[in-house]
Amino acid sequence: MTKLTHSFSLSLVAAGLLASTTVDAQSIAIINATVHTSTEQGILQGASIIMDEGKITAINPEKVAADTIIDAKGQIVTAGFIGTMNQLGLVEVGAVAGSRDGGDDKAGIDFDPSLAFNAHSSLIPYARKGGITRDVITPHGGDSIFAGLASVVDLSGEFDSVKQTQVALVVHLGEKSKGSRAMSLKNLVDKLTAHQQNSNKKDKKDAASPSTEETVLTKVLAGEMPLLVTASRASDIIELIKLKQQFSLNLVIAGAQDAVVVKEQLAQANVPVIVSAMESLPGSFDSLHASLDNAGKLEKAGVKVLLSIAGDASHNVYQLRFDAGNAVSYGMTQEGALKAITANVADVFGINAGSVAVGKAADLVIWNDDPFDFTSHVTKMFINGEEVSTEARQDKLRKRYTTDSEMPRAYTK
Amino acid sequence: MMQKFAPSLLVVALGVALAGCQDNGPQDEKVTINKNPYPSTYKALKSTTTLITNATVLTGTGERLEEADVLLVDGKVQQVGKDLTAQAELTIDAQGKWVTPGLIDVHSHLGAYPSPSVESHQDGNEMTSPNTAEVWVEHSIWPQDPGFNRAREGGITSLQILPGSANLFGGRGVTLKNVPAHTMQGMKFPDAPYGLKMACGENPKRVYGRKGVLPSTRMGNMAGYRTAWIGAAEYKREWDKYDADYAAGKNPEVPHRDIKYDTLRGVLEGEVMIHNHCYKAEEMAMMIDLSKEFGYHAGTFHHGIEAYKIADLLADNGSCAALWPDWWGFKMEAYDMVQENVAIVDAVKNSCAIVHSDSDTTIQRLNQEAGKVMYRANDNGFNISEQHAIKWITSNAAKALGIADKTGSLEAGKQGDVVIWNQSPFSVYAKAEQVFVDGAKVYDRYDDTFQAQSDFMLGQK
Repeated sequence: MTKLTHSFSLSLVAAGLLASTTVDAQSIAIINATVHTSTEQGILQGASIIMDEGKITAINPEKVAADTIIDAKGQIVTAGFIGTMNQLGLVEVGAVAGSRDGGDDKAGIDFDPSLAFNAHSSLIPYARKGGITRDVITPHGGDSIFAGLASVVDLSGEFDSVKQTQVALVVHLGEKSKGSRAMSLKNLVDKLTAHQQNSNKKDKKDAASPSTEETVLTKVLAGEMPLLVTASRASDIIELIKLKQQFSLNLVIAGAQDAVVVKEQLAQANVPVIVSAMESLPGSFDSLHASLDNAGKLEKAGVKVLLSIAGDASHNVYQLRFDAGNAVSYGMTQEGALKAITANVADVFGINAGSVAVGKAADLVIWNDDPFDFTSHVTKMFINGEEVSTEARQDKLRKRYTTDSEMPRAYTK
Repeated sequence: MMQKFAPSLLVVALGVALAGCQDNGPQDEKVTINKNPYPSTYKALKSTTTLITNATVLTGTGERLEEADVLLVDGKVQQVGKDLTAQAELTIDAQGKWVTPGLIDVHSHLGAYPSPSVESHQDGNEMTSPNTAEVWVEHSIWPQDPGFNRAREGGITSLQILPGSANLFGGRGVTLKNVPAHTMQGMKFPDAPYGLKMACGENPKRVYGRKGVLPSTRMGNMAGYRTAWIGAAEYKREWDKYDADYAAGKNPEVPHRDIKYDTLRGVLEGEVMIHNHCYKAEEMAMMIDLSKEFGYHAGTFHHGIEAYKIADLLADNGSCAALWPDWWGFKMEAYDMVQENVAIVDAVKNSCAIVHSDSDTTIQRLNQEAGKVMYRANDNGFNISEQHAIKWITSNAAKALGIADKTGSLEAGKQGDVVIWNQSPFSVYAKAEQVFVDGAKVYDRYDDTFQAQSDFMLGQK
């Protein structure tokens, strides 16, 4: 894809234009695939998928016609996986301050770290090894409860990777090292209440040039933008459910280690949760119920579950598929776990990807074996209908140190 | 080696000569340093003669036996093979299941950095001096850490707890049997050697450089180690001289006791094993030279992100390398990760590759961590079998801890530390179904009677 050099404020418009004007766009067909669709269609055997102009244009057409035809020979095809709750492209080395752009002490409602997204980060090709084709990057927070805005990026490694901005407002609640969590919740309620009252007072002239913060709050209060809140303790989650009802919020809860305690209430209130499948220890008094079987229990209760990586989620997002495998091992359905890293993420953040369906972004991965197990690796990968490599810096290093040479290793490139 | 610190020896020699003038009288009581003042009180749980039948058995010695049996008698492995005909009180039909030695994690902070990880529980690293060889991490262990139970559910039967890595010398580690107990001594692995945690690289220089004391650089790190070993050699010489003079019927003055140097002396005498947090190739190479400079063994390198760059050197030195499959990028010295690190280290003759956790979560699936390495390596030209890969988390780990004569493999006479898995342990779907320590069942996934719960979790709503 042609590289885009416009400023990011124009990127969405420009990317839209680009998609329809790319000169070297080639249609590609994958045939003889075992397609795990992440839709109600379930699994399609011996299926064919056509990609063109960055989108999936047909599934099982009567006649397969494309510039390139790839025979999957029965291998599994899934939608590319979608990471969340990480700072991919916003950090290179965790402890190197200059390489970190995912948060700011002064961050607030209008903080948008996607302006700092580095499509050339070495983390991106590595993440592709895990079948990750798209990612919801989230600010990690500062002094305020408002961490800032989440964005959607693709993992093409191209400069036009930021595909959607302002997809969610991120708020941190729950336990604090100083002060009371009640104050955090009060800050949130006050902010929402004040904006609601101001909006009611203002006439249309004043509303013509709202600040970013005002625009975001308006969308949040209209339920158009998810309010993505990190919280863990059951009592905190109950308070948030009340808040959702009071303000008609599109509430999403991340972390949610003890969500299992109030799973019925979450299902009833239609609140999706973003959890790690691997948290099994009472890390604090907020997470006494962390358990490997929580993801499965939440799914069974009817809660929409999204999986994310605990700990250093940016460098380790490639492991998402193994987390999904463990979730299955501990009670989640295979289909549910797949949706938790594809379609459910797309639904919650309004991403036109995450399932193998006509009209969706052509983010597709061919696997040589069960994508949730260690036995498998990516055979081929497509982002926006274009094949991308999974070779990463790590592969170069391996080859350098496993290739015999008379010369010092530095000459092996 | 001795000539290199001749000036300091001279001082000691003078001191001894002076003392020697006064030591001809009747002998005072001999002062002997108690090397085991906090002894193990571990007792194996009650066991019965147990025959596990028809399993795929990975022995931990590189063997794979199909449809094989494992017989545990008096807490020990008595026999492994086909169609064993023993009179067992308990027979477990393990048809379709896999059996391995109990897993061993050589790098854990459970109990010292327990869950919940509240401020009051941060007992894993005495970050007040670059050399805290005097601290023993066993004195920080909270045996009620729920993490021990979670680790047991993942098949961990032995583990070494190490202090943290902020110091050049972080203190003594301790090896535990992963059984529930309400004292540290009740978990302590009988007769396992002590470990000494050392750390290279970014952590010590960052923590102490910030405080304006040495080290603030990597050369400062090296200077700090060397100074300490010189002191340790002097200390050892003083005590050796005392012991020799006393044995010769003299009445020598008792040398000053320093528990920091007790530990370093233990290393110089080969009783305490080095466990060295060290990421980078050039640093590991220097740590090996350092060990030769002062006459001890460099021991096991932990975290060794760049171990693959010096695989030959590690094997030549007889050093184990305890590694993650894929952690990386959290700091600069962790940038050059390759997913095949363990496999590349392992491929060299006389190697000792280990998969470790350093984590209260991945310790729960060290088998999966090993599986990641095996499959990624086999994707890239290696040909590693399950029976070989299991050594990374059993017998090689036992070797690094100095307990390979006791556990880490299913051989006659070894401790009955055994895991029954629902399938190949190298799958994401693998689960430990039953875990035995010294022949006694300590965990059963399907029987609540054998599922331990921490005091902390009891009665929580």
